[in-house]
This record gives sequence, structure tokens and C-alpha cells, in this order.
Amino acid sequence: MTISRRDFLKNGLGVMTICLTPAQILAAAAQAANFAPRQAGKSKILVVVQMSGGNDGLNMVVPYGMGAYYQARPTLGIQPDKVLQLNGQLGLNPNMTGLCDLYKQGKVALLQAVGYPNPNRSHFRSIEIWQTAQPDRIGDTGWLGRYLDLSASGKPDNIFAAVNVEPTLPKTLASTKVMVPSVSNVFDFRFRTDPQYIQDRKAQVAAFNEIYESFSLKRPHVALLRKTGVDANRASDYLQQIVRQYKGDVKYPDGSFGNGLKFISQMIAGNVDSKVFTVNLDGFDTHTNQARTQNGLLKQLSEGISAFYADLAAHNVQNDVIILCFSEFGRRVAENGGHGTDHGTAEPVFVIGNSVRGGIFGDHASLSNLDQGDLKYKIDFRSIYASLLERWLGADSKAILADRFDIIPFV
Amino acid sequence: MAGKKSDSFWVRHLLRRAGFGGTPSEIQHYVLLGYDGALDELLHPQSVDNDALEADIKQQNFDFTQIADLKRWWLYRMCYTRRPLEEKMTLFWHGHFATSEKKVKHAYAMYGQNWIFRKHALGNFHQLLYDVSKDPAMIIWLDNQQNQKGKPNENYAREIMELFTMGIGNYSEQDIKEAARAFTGWHTQPDGFHFNEAQHDFGNKTFLGQTGNFNGEDVVKILVGQKATSRFLARKLIRFFAFDDPDEEMIDRIASTYLKSKYNIGKTMEVLLSDPLFLSERSYHAKIKSPAELVVGTVKTMQLRKLDGDLPSIMARMGQDLLEPPNVKGWDGGPAWIATDTMMERFNFAARITGAKFEDMESYMSPSELMRKQGLNNAAEMVDYFLQLLVDDDVPTSARSRLVAYVSSDIKGDPVKTIPDERTLDAKLRGLVHLIMTLPTYQLA
Repeated sequence: MTISRRDFLKNGLGVMTICLTPAQILAAAAQAANFAPRQAGKSKILVVVQMSGGNDGLNMVVPYGMGAYYQARPTLGIQPDKVLQLNGQLGLNPNMTGLCDLYKQGKVALLQAVGYPNPNRSHFRSIEIWQTAQPDRIGDTGWLGRYLDLSASGKPDNIFAAVNVEPTLPKTLASTKVMVPSVSNVFDFRFRTDPQYIQDRKAQVAAFNEIYESFSLKRPHVALLRKTGVDANRASDYLQQIVRQYKGDVKYPDGSFGNGLKFISQMIAGNVDSKVFTVNLDGFDTHTNQARTQNGLLKQLSEGISAFYADLAAHNVQNDVIILCFSEFGRRVAENGGHGTDHGTAEPVFVIGNSVRGGIFGDHASLSNLDQGDLKYKIDFRSIYASLLERWLGADSKAILADRFDIIPFV
Repeated sequence: MAGKKSDSFWVRHLLRRAGFGGTPSEIQHYVLLGYDGALDELLHPQSVDNDALEADIKQQNFDFTQIADLKRWWLYRMCYTRRPLEEKMTLFWHGHFATSEKKVKHAYAMYGQNWIFRKHALGNFHQLLYDVSKDPAMIIWLDNQQNQKGKPNENYAREIMELFTMGIGNYSEQDIKEAARAFTGWHTQPDGFHFNEAQHDFGNKTFLGQTGNFNGEDVVKILVGQKATSRFLARKLIRFFAFDDPDEEMIDRIASTYLKSKYNIGKTMEVLLSDPLFLSERSYHAKIKSPAELVVGTVKTMQLRKLDGDLPSIMARMGQDLLEPPNVKGWDGGPAWIATDTMMERFNFAARITGAKFEDMESYMSPSELMRKQGLNNAAEMVDYFLQLLVDDDVPTSARSRLVAYVSSDIKGDPVKTIPDERTLDAKLRGLVHLIMTLPTYQLA
């Protein structure tokens, strides 16, 4: 069964009229759209979870074995009998049972005291530093954007080199050559027509496709607009198919984070050929009454990731995916007067996946030898990036990070 | 585009660039003035009575301490001002001195900054740069609040040269250090700019080859007169108003006007907007509409009198979040506006406008009523009317005939001689306008 590109375009936005099996439809869609499907079981995909707002690392990975923690946290401290103990010193926040199970199965690498020199305590700037991996200057491209630029050279366009499932593209994926789509809601990423006249949709869509196919004017941007318009609708059709074909009964937590992870899982299960996906969990800026907010968010994080992992395993692609979870900074060691914490520095980072070497990497930051009340970092975050680039994505980390950083053997 | 085009053709081109397009009656107003008259009126906003807009805005009780209200307020101004170039220049300066509420976290300070841009929209660049340097939102945005004697913060000093005046490559790291010292103590307090004397470095500085006990005012003065500044601004203005790839001779023409007029923005714009290249094939439909141009232009063309509250967030999804530009460089513009997701957003904005219940919202245009008013009798007339209205009739013939075929079919897509009923007519008209708004040409200014 083959289907010509022209036929695909004609039928593209509507329902395919010929009866095909789901697998045939996907293959045809991918072929017609020049999307080489990914090879399941042989790919290496990175999913980046950004925890925005500055997550309090000390109440996520609790140093319950250190007395100084309870001195600094008279009301916010989580008691030893409540934490999910990882070892004699450390335990996870009690809301993270899902993640704890994955840890016990050896699928979670916990990197301690991650940060960078001269820490910046502005959300805005510190997010930018983590996203660009350029602490010393304001860069235009993200670390994974530069990776996409490097790995894209010489290859035909792939509309899905990476997909961001948030409304706005994080700088992480800002690149010079590769366009990364942001598809926060697959339902919205769809050529809409007037809902009052559903019967007319087919005629409109056919007109659109035919007009676009032969649209030519000698003006500077017309070719780009034409191509992007065609690509947008092809991409949309392809993603709608992927989502329709997906079968799974894993329950994700409610909200945009859970929905985003589910959509990523649908794309991976549907063999969309993306190397990188980005998703965000926002709300960690807990200056007052931290416990309730942070506990809720960590519960979402843990439930989301364990659902995502289970979903990948159910589709037998759990070896293909590694998840990186970070926040722009940790928070002040001492709690403030409002049962909250202020902006801080170093933080724990999780790297999760079946292909990850689980365990604890690096030493815990001292709770007494502080920098203006904040933790001193021990692992430069660019070491984690370098390790993922070299050992997972198979890229030259120096070309992307402008320097060599220590490789950490978590992968 | 063959042959010599009419005056009204270029007036419409001018309105797309020096404004946001226009309603049919606005276009008629400017066409009657002729190109030179229209340009003259656009360049002298203070001569145009805008009281109706201000009164209308007062009635709406915008809360300027809320960023969402501020975005809606500005969009409202763009849609309904009688001084389109003033508002367009305000948008240009916002992109030039790109400041984001995300970091400033003070909507009212952003409101104040927005008025600086409007006040000097077509005024003097020297005064504009001076006011911007003392603007609380800018001081917070580029960390000048932390710029203290002995502990300089170089952020503002760097950006004022790299992005606001000369452009990279025209100054040294040492110039940045010296300029930073000149701006020490330029701080802000809740009631506005505050010169913090104790934190100001009164020592001698050597900046761009000149030595003296310079303060920020001196640095501004030195910068605005640099040849590099004139060329940097000229290039940026041409790229914003004319086309993406200005040639050196045109940059020289605009830059020398800026210098000769002692940094007069209005004079500079006058020369730019009457330049032979601006009024040429090279410039016509050569720019991709920014989301602001697309959305405001649509509101005007379709004569919408009521704005949906979430237009700013639709624009944000198209890549232009007003008052929250992505970084201090502002929006790249040009082809950077176009990606699969932002393109889909443009298509769906069109669907949203044309699918609106015009009847329930009296302010919206009703396609079928309009058809009666315009006396359109058949499919070809309908198509031609809307192609002229929406895309200046700049489409390949294949597109036109396919649109005629679309309108000349019933709801199932079968060809018909006459449109069978009112309902089908409504569907086809809305569908036609939607399709034209998705055309590549509709994305062009």
C-alpha cells in the first residue's frame, strides 16, 4: 500500500476515506509527510522536565539524618518517620511514592548539590542559564537547540526534530537552524473550520490544500509561508493520527503536566521521530506556606513520572527514554518567617529511565558551610548535560557546551 | 505588479507599514489626502484629535497595575487610535528597548515606560534615550539598581551600546566598564527615578576616546551622535518598516538624515517612508506581518468594534507576547514569526474571526449583510471583493479560480449554479473569508 504525496495532501485534513489498518495509516501518513518513523527500541530520547519557580530541594530529597536540617527548618522540616528513606541520611518527600518505587528498582539517578559558579538568584536569569548552559553571557540558543543544530546538519527537514508540549518554546530548544514546534494541546494544533457548518469542512479543507499546493508569487517570504502552511497541516494530521491510534489505560495526574507527559508518551509510542521533548511543571516559588503547595507539586511530579514510565513500559519503549528533572535553583537553607523559603542555589537533580544507572551521585552539600545562607554546589549542571550528550545522545559535548565537563557515570 | 501603481495603492501600502492597515473608512480618509498628505498626517500625530479614544479608554476602567489589563489596553489603542504611526512607533520602541514585565514584575512601571515610547514616538532620539535610561522599568530590567560605586553592574552599559545605539563591534570591554561607572547611582524608588549620589562614581572616565567626569547623561549624549548609532538605527528602522534586507546606500540615506536632523525621529521616518525603495516593488508585500499587525489589521479590516479579552494571549501564541518580549533583543521578526505552530495559530485566529456569531455581537461584521450592501451577485464578484479587501488582490490566478469553485459549490462540495439558500450563503461567505485569511499573502504586510 502506498499513497502519493498529492493524494495525502488532498485527503490530509479530512478523514482518510480508504479502509486501512491503523499501522498502515500511520506508515502512509509518515511516508507521505516525509517523516521517517523512529525505530522503536533503538532510539535515544531525552525528555526534559523543568520545575519552574525554584524547587526547594531540601524538602524534596530530605537530609533527615542531618541535625542542621531540622535547626534550619523548625516548622517546614519533614520528620524522619515520614520521609521515604533512601539510606540512613536521605529520604524522599512523603508524596513521592511513585518515584521512590522507581528508585528502588534502580531506575533513578539522584545527583546531589547541582549548581554553577556565581549563582544567580533571579528566576528569569537563572532559568536562562540552565536553558542556554551559558552562565557568563546572555546566549541566544539553548543547549539542546545547539544539539539539534549539530545533529540536523546534512539531513532532510524533520518537522519533529523535537517537540515542546508547553505553550511557549523554552530557550532550551532555541536553535539557529531547526524549527521546534510547540504543541501544548493537540486538539488546538488542528486546522479549525466553522463549527456551525461542519458539513462544509471537507470543501474548505480541499480548497485550502489545493490553493496551497500551487501557491506561487514572486515575493520574498511566500515560499516559506507556503511550505510552513503545508507542513503545519501535515504535522497536525500526523499528530491527530498518532493520538487516535494510541491505546493505553495508564492514569496520569490531572492538569497540564500530566496531559503533557501523556502526549509525549503518545508520540513516542507512535514512533514520532523526535530526540527531545520538553514539558514544564510550574509553581515552585514557595515564599509563603510552602508545604501544601510543594507537596502537591511533588505528588504531581512523582505520579506523572511513574505513570509515564509505566506507559512507556506498556508500549515496550522504556529503554528508549531518559527523563531529566531540574529547577532553576534550590531554596534558602533556613526557612523564612512565613513558613516558606526564599531563592537559593544548589539543588538535587533526577535523571530517570530504564537505561539509567540508578543511585546517588556526588556528596550532599554542607548545611553549615554556606554561601550567604545558601548551599554551595558540588556538581556543575553542565556535567549532567555533557554526560547526557556524550553517553545518551551521542553528541560532542564540547561543541555544544564550549568546554569539557566531567562525565558522570549515571548513564 | 505591472505598470505604475496608483496613489491609493501606495497609501494602502503606507498604512500597512506606518499603521496597522485600516477600516474601509480610514483607508478612504487617507486616500483622499493623497500619499503626501497621508504621510504628513501620520508623521504629526499631535495634530490629530484623539480625544474619542482617550474617552473610550477611560470608560473601560483598565487597571494599569494588572499586566493582563495593560496588554488589552495597548491592543485597544492600536486598534482604535486615529494616530496609527504614533502607536506603530511605540511598538517599534518597545521592541527596540525590549523590556519584559516577567522580570520587572510591576505593570504600572511598564505602563509608564510605554508612555515614554509614545511621547517620543516621533520626537528626538536623544531625549528618548535619556528618558529610557532613567525609566524605573528599564532600571529594574537591566539591573542598574545594583549598579553602585565600586561595585558596578555592567548590564545596562553593555546593552545601551550593543542593542540600543551602536551595535556590537563598535566599542571595547573597557568602554562598557567606563559607561557602567557613569551610570552608577542611577536608581529607582517607588516614586520614580532617584539619583543616589552616595552610590555614584564621580571619578574621571574615558569613554569612546573622550575623558571627563561623565555621568549617564554624558554617555547618552556621546552615544546618540555616533555614526555607528545612526547606521544601527537606520538599519533597524528600514527592517521594521520597509524590508528585511536593506542595502548600504539606503542605510546611508536614512542614517545621514538622522544625524543632520540632530536625531529627529520624525524627520528620519519622513525620509524613510518617502524613499524610492519604500515605494517600490522591492518593498510591496515584502514583510511578514507581526502578530500585532495581523491581529490589529484584522480587527480594522473586519471593522470589529468589540475585542475578545484573550486577543493578547492569541498573539502570544503567535509569538508576540506584548510587554513580555523573549529577551532584551526583542522580537527577531521577519521569517522568525513563522513556524508550524505559529502558522496554525494564524489559521485558527482566522477561523475564530470568521466563525464568530456576528448576529449576536452587533459590532462584528456580518458577511451576508455586507454582501447585500456591496451588491455582490455571484461567486466571482464575492471572491474579487474579498481578495481586494483582504490581500490587495495579490494572489496567483490558480488561487482565485479555486476560491470561485469553492463558493460555487453546495455544502457537500458539489458544483451549483446558484447558491441554494441563505444558510449555504452564510457558510460559503465565512468559509471564503477564512480561506483568504489563511493565504500566504494575508500574512504579508
